Amino acid sequence: MRTRRTALAGIAIAAAASLMLGACSSGGDDDGGSDSTDAVITAYGTEPQNPLITTNTNEVGGGNIIDLIYAGLVSYKADGSQELEVAESIESEDNKVWTIKLKDWQFTDGTPVTAQSFVDAWNYGAAEENAQLQSYFYYPIEGTDDEGVILDKGTEMSGLKVIDEKTFEVTLKNPEALFPLRLGYSAYFPLPEVAFEDMEAFGKAPIGNGPYKLEKWENNVEAVMVPNPDYKGNRPAKNGGVTFKFYTNPDSAYSDVQAGNLDILDQAPPSALATFKDDDSVQAFESPGTVNGTITIPESLKHFSGEEGKLRRQAISRAIDREEITEKIFEGTRSPSTDFSSPLMPEYREDIPGSEVLEFDADEAKRLWAEADEIQPFTGKFVVAYNGDGPGNKEWVEALTNQLKNNLGIQAEPKAYATFAELRTKVTDRTIGTAFRTGWQPDYPSVYNYLGPIFGTGAGSNDGDYSNKEFDKLLQQALSAEGDEQADLLAKAQEILFEDLPAIPLWNTNVAAVAAKGVENVEFNWQNKPEYQNITK
Amino acid sequence: MAWYIGRRILQAIPVLLGSTLLIYAMVFAMPGDPIVALFGEKPVSEAVRSQIEQQYNLDKPFFVQWLLFLGNAAQGDLGMSFSGRPVSELLAETIPVTFKLALMALVIEAVLGIIAGFYAGLKRGGIFDSTMLVTSLLVIAVPIFVFGFVMQLTFGVKLGWAPVTVGGDASWDRLIIPAFVLGLVSFAYVLRLTRTSVVENLTADHVRTARAKGLTDGQVNRRHVLRNSLIPVVTYLGADLGTLMAGAIVTEGIFNIPGLGNLAFRAIQQKEGPTIVSVVTVMVLIYVVMSLIVDLLYAWLDPRIRYA
Repeated sequence: MRTRRTALAGIAIAAAASLMLGACSSGGDDDGGSDSTDAVITAYGTEPQNPLITTNTNEVGGGNIIDLIYAGLVSYKADGSQELEVAESIESEDNKVWTIKLKDWQFTDGTPVTAQSFVDAWNYGAAEENAQLQSYFYYPIEGTDDEGVILDKGTEMSGLKVIDEKTFEVTLKNPEALFPLRLGYSAYFPLPEVAFEDMEAFGKAPIGNGPYKLEKWENNVEAVMVPNPDYKGNRPAKNGGVTFKFYTNPDSAYSDVQAGNLDILDQAPPSALATFKDDDSVQAFESPGTVNGTITIPESLKHFSGEEGKLRRQAISRAIDREEITEKIFEGTRSPSTDFSSPLMPEYREDIPGSEVLEFDADEAKRLWAEADEIQPFTGKFVVAYNGDGPGNKEWVEALTNQLKNNLGIQAEPKAYATFAELRTKVTDRTIGTAFRTGWQPDYPSVYNYLGPIFGTGAGSNDGDYSNKEFDKLLQQALSAEGDEQADLLAKAQEILFEDLPAIPLWNTNVAAVAAKGVENVEFNWQNKPEYQNITK
Repeated sequence: MAWYIGRRILQAIPVLLGSTLLIYAMVFAMPGDPIVALFGEKPVSEAVRSQIEQQYNLDKPFFVQWLLFLGNAAQGDLGMSFSGRPVSELLAETIPVTFKLALMALVIEAVLGIIAGFYAGLKRGGIFDSTMLVTSLLVIAVPIFVFGFVMQLTFGVKLGWAPVTVGGDASWDRLIIPAFVLGLVSFAYVLRLTRTSVVENLTADHVRTARAKGLTDGQVNRRHVLRNSLIPVVTYLGADLGTLMAGAIVTEGIFNIPGLGNLAFRAIQQKEGPTIVSVVTVMVLIYVVMSLIVDLLYAWLDPRIRYA
């Protein structure tokens, strides 16, 4: 017995020693990158939270993959303008009934992409029984309710009609000139016939028609995509494939980029924001972005309705020194808002009348607040709610409420909710009872998308219950207008918002990304994502 | 012996029931609606919402949810994650990775801790002893993620000796640095425990007897001092495997290891009841089994203890 024990200890020590040696010898076996065009690009990703089904993937981890393995009727260029992809033509006489003709495309399983592939996919996404997370996106189509779910527990939208194998017709509830712009979004992608046989199995190994094929999805580890040789669209793969490595912590991804083990990280972690631009071991990228940050003040909040509310909202907006917060807290990785959308949008206008309300002016703020006090003196405190699980939220909400305290001389304080879910629950059931942080990431590149869904009367994401008939009318007109006329109408609609301030625009999040040394052709698109298919090394 | 083991296993059943009930209650009490979170800032249709609630039994009172979970678990079905995959599959993927990591950490801390503690105890008050005491104090005082990031930066990024992150290929050699970091705090405790124990045993009667019999120093130290000093250390190490697996969450985050900790972290963020409860159940099971093994080991280390 004794000898066995000694032997055991010996083995254990030997094993430990060999492990140490192993660690030394294996160092540096990760490839530093060969300079060929067929190199596989590794990118930061997160484990998809849902099955990889176009109609059920609404978060970024799965969305990155879906966007690369599918092609929609149209595709977006980096600047947000659109090009036809699977569609041969998308036409309408009245902006209400759209006729869509398809090119000859195939899914990677060899079956053709037909009108039915689109209609079936959309119907699947909108049917109540399937409870798909993207159902909201079908709300413009006839036969759905305001949340995009097919009426009366049906399984087919009345607004979709297959004409022949390569043609189908979409009827909208209201005329909408911008409708084709929506069609590059993943909820409008087609699904092959095989998907409907067993959606559960399909969600684990999806078959698409995009620039890449999903070769392997190893849970919590990586998703490996190889170029699809039959792809003939606008976004051909210029590299040998894209592999999303899944992380739970962007800090460790940053370290991997520094060491050259990861090619691209599209979101530098908060801990690196102050230093990433001067970091010699990476290539840093910074450019304006489309995601905006706002605080919404509900109409129902005491002191914030009617004429009094208007004055107070303007006072608050002018009391916020956006420049200071974006510089000091975000290290310049956010840019102060100049309107309700983003400078990247095609219809963006500089200096819309009324937009000076976004400029810091403490004296003017005090004057407006005093004017409101004459209508009715302010009582209580101004509270801004935020979710503590979002990085950096605590810091900026505290800074902002401090500015309000100092510049308006009122009681202002932050209120933390532990999770995003908790904050959203309070917001959606309208029990929050304070102002709260909001933000928007556009679904398609248009100023309209920053206005209609958020500030339209009764709109789905109108968290503050804002309602203004004139604003609604301008939006309605903008929907059926085109070109400059449309941009004019959207600017006019924003003029009203600058007056009423249902939400107070704060800033747009810049793209802050890093790539490993030697990685080339990194370009960021209007969705703040790299154009993965163009990256080479 | 067999009867003793059987009794211990039976005792584990109420422990498991109680802990799952407790965790279910806590998940239920977590603020926020997981379905609203699923939809992000997009509006949720009531009809779709009730569909999803039914699918995951979220519409039922928590006690019913718990009973349903137990019933299904007894048949080997641990439920589904929001990503549509069976939780049992997720566990099968992550447990081996974390177990490997924790086992390596255990071996590292045991070997290094016992050897260092043994010599520190023999040469009590010497330079080695003092150095070890200061080192272990430092290790216990500094949070583990600091060591994690420092080692990652030094050995991974700067020197390039070890992979920066582990990722999918969780092989033994790639796990060495994370395992070292994970085992670091326990190493300090093992060292201190062994040292104290050795110091005590050096003056014990049976050691004096052994010396009087004319055994050499080496024989006395190995067979009589070390062996008897290991009893508290083994107790600690046994319980520590469970702690290491549960505590791996920080290390797994830093080194991006697709293990149980990562799974639990993601599940808690998404308020994914079945996954959280299953992970915790696994942890409880490990604790139960390890404490049984420790008790059995006592009998082997100390001849005075016998189980009948």
